[in-house]
Amino acid sequence: MELLELEAYRVPSRFKDWIRILRTTIYEDGPTRIHLKIPTVDPIFIQSLTRYLKEKRKSYLADLPIETIVHVLDEASRRWLDQNYPLRRLALKVIPQITGFSQEVVAASIDAEMESSLREDLWRALSLEIGDPLFLNDFQYSPLLGGYSRAFGPELMVSIFSENIPALPHLLFMRSALIKSACLGKVAAGEPTFAPLYLKTIEEIDPEMAECMAVLYWQGGTTEIESILFEEADAVVLFGGVETCKALLEKVPRNVKTVVHGHRLGFGVIGQQNMKRQKLERLAEAVALDCSMFDQQACLAPHLYYLEEGGEVGPKEFCEAVAAAMERLNQKMPRGRLTAHEASTIHQLRASYELREIKGEEVRVLASPSGTDWTVVYERDPGVFSPSPLNRFIRFYGVEDIFQIPSSLKSVGPFLQNAAVAIGDRREKEFIKVLGELGVSRITSPGKMALPSMMWHHDGISPLASLLRWCDVEKKEDF
Amino acid sequence: MRELDKEVRDLDERILHFIGKGIDNQDEKTFNQLALEIFELQVKWIPLYRRYCEKRGILPEKISSWEEIPALPTDAFKVAELAMFPSQIVRTFLTSGTTRPEERGKVHYDEGGLRLMDGTIQTAAASFLFPDGMKTKILIIAPSPEIAPSMIMAYGMNRLREFFGLPQSGFLVTEKGFEVETLVRELRSSENEGIPVTICGGSFGFVNFFDYCHERGLRFKLPVGSRTLDAGGFKGRSREVKREDFVRECEEILGIRTEYSINLLGMTEIGSQFYDSTLRNFYQGLSLPVAKVNPPWTRTVVVDPENLKPLPEGETGLLKHYDLANRGHILAIQTDDLGRRTPEGFEVFGRSKDEATRGCSLTIDEMTRIERGR
Repeated sequence: MELLELEAYRVPSRFKDWIRILRTTIYEDGPTRIHLKIPTVDPIFIQSLTRYLKEKRKSYLADLPIETIVHVLDEASRRWLDQNYPLRRLALKVIPQITGFSQEVVAASIDAEMESSLREDLWRALSLEIGDPLFLNDFQYSPLLGGYSRAFGPELMVSIFSENIPALPHLLFMRSALIKSACLGKVAAGEPTFAPLYLKTIEEIDPEMAECMAVLYWQGGTTEIESILFEEADAVVLFGGVETCKALLEKVPRNVKTVVHGHRLGFGVIGQQNMKRQKLERLAEAVALDCSMFDQQACLAPHLYYLEEGGEVGPKEFCEAVAAAMERLNQKMPRGRLTAHEASTIHQLRASYELREIKGEEVRVLASPSGTDWTVVYERDPGVFSPSPLNRFIRFYGVEDIFQIPSSLKSVGPFLQNAAVAIGDRREKEFIKVLGELGVSRITSPGKMALPSMMWHHDGISPLASLLRWCDVEKKEDF
Repeated sequence: MRELDKEVRDLDERILHFIGKGIDNQDEKTFNQLALEIFELQVKWIPLYRRYCEKRGILPEKISSWEEIPALPTDAFKVAELAMFPSQIVRTFLTSGTTRPEERGKVHYDEGGLRLMDGTIQTAAASFLFPDGMKTKILIIAPSPEIAPSMIMAYGMNRLREFFGLPQSGFLVTEKGFEVETLVRELRSSENEGIPVTICGGSFGFVNFFDYCHERGLRFKLPVGSRTLDAGGFKGRSREVKREDFVRECEEILGIRTEYSINLLGMTEIGSQFYDSTLRNFYQGLSLPVAKVNPPWTRTVVVDPENLKPLPEGETGLLKHYDLANRGHILAIQTDDLGRRTPEGFEVFGRSKDEATRGCSLTIDEMTRIERGR
C-alpha cells in the first residue's frame, strides 16, 4: 500500500525546524495510507512567526508591483488546473480519503475554484473594488479627489477556516496577497491538506512571497493561541457557524478589522415560463448539478428549489427529470462517504415523506436505487424554509405564484446568500429586487450556483476593499 | 369485529405467555412464529404500513423469518398514525422530540398492547433490576403518569413502583419541578431505618441531583441492596457524564455499589426495555463485560447507516429493534441510535450526532440550536 506523508501546516523555511509534531493522524481505510502530521503550536511560536511574516511583508510583498502578484497567483491557478500537476494529483489522492468526498467531487471543486482565479478574474476583481489596481502600488492621481490616493492593505491578515470544502482556503491567501498583506491561516480538522499544498505552489513560483504566508492547525478555541494571534493581526477573516464565530469574535481586539463569513443558505426558483418540455432536460441537469457540487455542503448550494405551477410541465414531472439527472450525475461524480448521522437523517426523513406520500398527501419521494446517494422530494410549499440534511437531498416546493416565496424566506433572511433564479418573464426584475432586499447576495442561473466569479461581493461584502486603508493627499496650496 | 378481537386476544395471550417464560427462554422458533403472526396482522390492519411493505415487495406470505420484516424509521411516528386498532386506543405516548420539539411522534396503545408492555416491565425488571427479589422503596425522579400522561417513562416507572415497590415509594417530580429536598429527606430516612431504596428516573435528573449534593457537601450511605436505574441520557438538561463517572458518583454520593447502578434503554416507539446486565451478572456470580441484553421477546440488529444492511458483531451502526410487545403498532423499528453488538448483547452510544462541521452551509442541527437560543 502506498504511504503518503503530509503536513497539516506550512511555515516559512526558517520555522520548519522549530515545528514539533504533536501527533500523526493516520488514514488507512482507503487505497493509500496517509500520515498527516499535526503540529504543536504555542504562544511563543505564534509571536515569532507573526512578527517574521510582518517583516517579510514589509521587506518584500509591500513593495511588489500588483502586476507581479497577479502574475504569481495566475500561474498558481494554472498549475492547479493542469491534470498532471503533481500537487493536484497528490491532493486528489489525499482529500477524498480525509473528507469522504469522491475524487470526482474534489476535482470538480478544484476546477471550479481555480478557473475563477485566473489573471483576468483577479484584475477585474481589483478594478471593481478599488477602481484602479495601481492604487495598491503607489500614490495615483484621483481626478474626483483632485489629489493623490494610495491604498494600503493590512500588515497581517489572519483567517480561520472551519469547514472541509476543498480548495476554498486558497481564496484567502489570494486575497491577502492582492492587498499585499501577510497571511496566516488556520485550517479545519475536516480538511487540513489543501492550504499547505497551495502555499507550496506559491513557493515554487515565488519563494519570497511564500515567506509572507503560513498555514497552521491547532484545536479551535485554544484561547492562549488565538488571543495572541488576533493581537498581532490587523485584519481577521472568519469562516464558520454562528457559535464558532461568536466565540472567536470575543477574542478579537476592537481595532482589528473583521470579516465574518457565517454558514449560509442557498435556494432556487423556477418560474412557469421555464417549466417547458423543450427545456426540461437541460434545466433538470442544471439543477442536479447545483445540488451535487461539493455534495451540497457548500453554502452556495441550494437547500431547496421552488417550482411555479401552471407551466407546460408540472412540478412532479420536473422532479422526475431532476431525479433522472441526479442519478446520471451520481454515476459520473459519485456522492461521497457520509457520517452515520448524515445517513441516518436522510433515511428518517425519506421515511416520513414516504409515509406522507402513502397517506395520500401531495408529496413525492424519488430516491437513489441504493443507499442514500440522492433524494428528490416534491411537496406543496409548506410556507416554511426547511434546511436540507444536504449530501444531495433536495426538496422542491410547488408554488402557485413566485411572489408567495419571499414571506417564507423572511425567517431565514440573515442566512440567505445564493439564489438561482429562472423566472423566464418580465416579473424576474421585480422578483430579484425583492430577493435583494431580503438579504440574498448573489443571484445566478440554475447550474451556476457553485460557480461564483471572483468579482462577486462575497456575502454582500467587498472582500478586498473592506480590508484596505486609504491615504489621500488633498494638498493644493503651495506650501 | 368480535371475531377479530378474539384472534388478537388469543395472540396477546400467547405473547404474554412467551414473555412470562422469563429471560432465559431460548425458544427461537416460537419467537419467529409470533413475530410473523404479528407482522401479518399489522400488514392487514395498518394500511400505511401495508403499502410501505408492498412497495418493498415484502409481504407476510413471502417471508419465513422475523429478520425480513421491514422496519419503520422512528420519524414515521411523527407524520402518521400507526395503530392497529385506532378505535381502541387507550393510551398515546409522545416521543421526546430531541431534535425538533414541535414534531413529536405519537405511539398508540390499545388495552392488549398495554398489557404486553406491563408484562415486559414485570419480567425484565424481575431479572435485571431485582434479581435478588428484594422489595425496596422506589423513589422516582420523573413525574407521575397523572402529571405526564403522554410520557412513557412515567408510565413504566409507575408500573415498577406498583410491581416491586414498598408502600413508601413515590414520584419526586411534581408540578413544581424536581422535589430535591423530598429526595434528600427520603434518603436520610432510609439510612436511619435501614430500608433499601431504588432510585430511578431520567439520567439527567441524577446528574442534577449529584451537582446539588456536591454544592452542599451531601453524602449518603444507603442500606445494602439499594440501587439506581437511570434512562434517557442527558439531552442537554444536565452536564454530560460518562458511564464510569456516573457509576462512580452513585457510589461516592449515595453509597451504592457499582454493580447496583443500572442503565436502561427505553424508547417511546418500543414497548420493551433493554437493561444493563450488570446486576444480574453480579447476582449470578458471573464476571462479564457490561452490555444491554435482549429479552427473548426482542431482537436488536445493528445495521450499516448507509444501506441499512446488517453489520457483523463489533461494528458500529444504527440499532434496529424487533419487539413482540409492539403488537399494537409496528413490530420492527429502525432507530437513530448508534451502537454495536458484543458477545454479551449490545452497546448503545446514543443518538447519532453531528460529528464535526463539514461544509459551510447552515445545517439543520445548527438551525435548531439557533432557534432554541432565541
